[in-house]
Amino acid sequence: MRLKDQNALVTGGSRGIGRAIAQAFAAEGAKVAIIYRGAREAAESLVAEINNEGGKAVALQADVADAASVQACVQRVEQELGPISILVNNAGVIEDDLFVRMKPEAWNKVIQTNLGGVFNFCHAVAFGMMQRRAGRIINISSVSADHVNMGQSNYSASKGAVNSLTRALAMELAKRGVTVNAIAPGFIETDMSAAVRNKAGDKIAKYIPMRRIGKPEDIARVAVFLASADSSYITGQVLKVDGGLTLGAVAE
Amino acid sequence: MPTQDEIYSKVSATLVEALNVDEEDIKPTSTLQGDLGAESIDFLDIVFRLEREFGIKIPRGELFPESIFQGDPELVQDGRVTPKGLEELRSKMPFADLTKFEENPEVGNLSNLFTVDLIARYIQGKLENGQN
Repeated sequence: MRLKDQNALVTGGSRGIGRAIAQAFAAEGAKVAIIYRGAREAAESLVAEINNEGGKAVALQADVADAASVQACVQRVEQELGPISILVNNAGVIEDDLFVRMKPEAWNKVIQTNLGGVFNFCHAVAFGMMQRRAGRIINISSVSADHVNMGQSNYSASKGAVNSLTRALAMELAKRGVTVNAIAPGFIETDMSAAVRNKAGDKIAKYIPMRRIGKPEDIARVAVFLASADSSYITGQVLKVDGGLTLGAVAE
Repeated sequence: MPTQDEIYSKVSATLVEALNVDEEDIKPTSTLQGDLGAESIDFLDIVFRLEREFGIKIPRGELFPESIFQGDPELVQDGRVTPKGLEELRSKMPFADLTKFEENPEVGNLSNLFTVDLIARYIQGKLENGQN
């Protein structure tokens, strides 16, 4: 039980990578707050699943892009579970379009959720972590911050900014024993990547040196490591977890 | 109204928590930065804890005035605080004893003003004026 006595908050925790992280944290003994925006049923079924297995989880609705909603959410979680010791900023959206055709709404939505959401939650928990001289912040970024795709200027920009924020916040909180790191997943089997996977079929796996698409659990295991005492001397890092996707072209 | 000693011991306890230092390391003349290792983020924490401990409001820049430290050429020149800068310090920090600093007003010596005793005097002034 590597996360015993820890209280974790996972945004976008009802589905995909966030769900796998919430499950893995609970399995390691952490109490988990699952934050969802719209997927209430998925969040509640996950809470039931974790509680049935002897863990402790709660689900709360919040819009990560809304600072007031986030403040209220963090207060309620801390009332129910106690001080948050692990924050996972996982909530994210895509709204792809070619840049010249991209509507400002698509730009704003992606930046406000993927970057603004990280700011809002970090802002709500950082001072408390700093005062307690303990805490783990894990931001879920993407390899597409550096290895860009057509039609994802907003998404890439948001994730690149998350990586910079990860380093800047790590610098400010390091003295107080709070670590801030990011995980940059490659191609992972989630609802978010379903459209691309459906279109490309099994061709995608051929571009990945490990010849398989990642699973949410591949990311969750790394999140457990970054949340645990095993990683206490690591901060400000962006760790790619992509089966080698970004190493270069697979030549065969 | 707490006595001077009561204020000092509460300030001292606050610094133990905010700076993670031992109580015996804290003396009235200890400087926050030089002796007790405080950094910018620690000053935020100190202000927050003092506000809670004494039930007062400490507006930004009141206990730790920032204007003088920003390198305004009228206030600071060639690494030294100008006469106008000293005047500014006196008006912004009536709770500080500037006698020693005025002998050698190098910017680098400013941090020596921020002692445990200075904070206690600041708090005392604040409580006397009933600004809580």
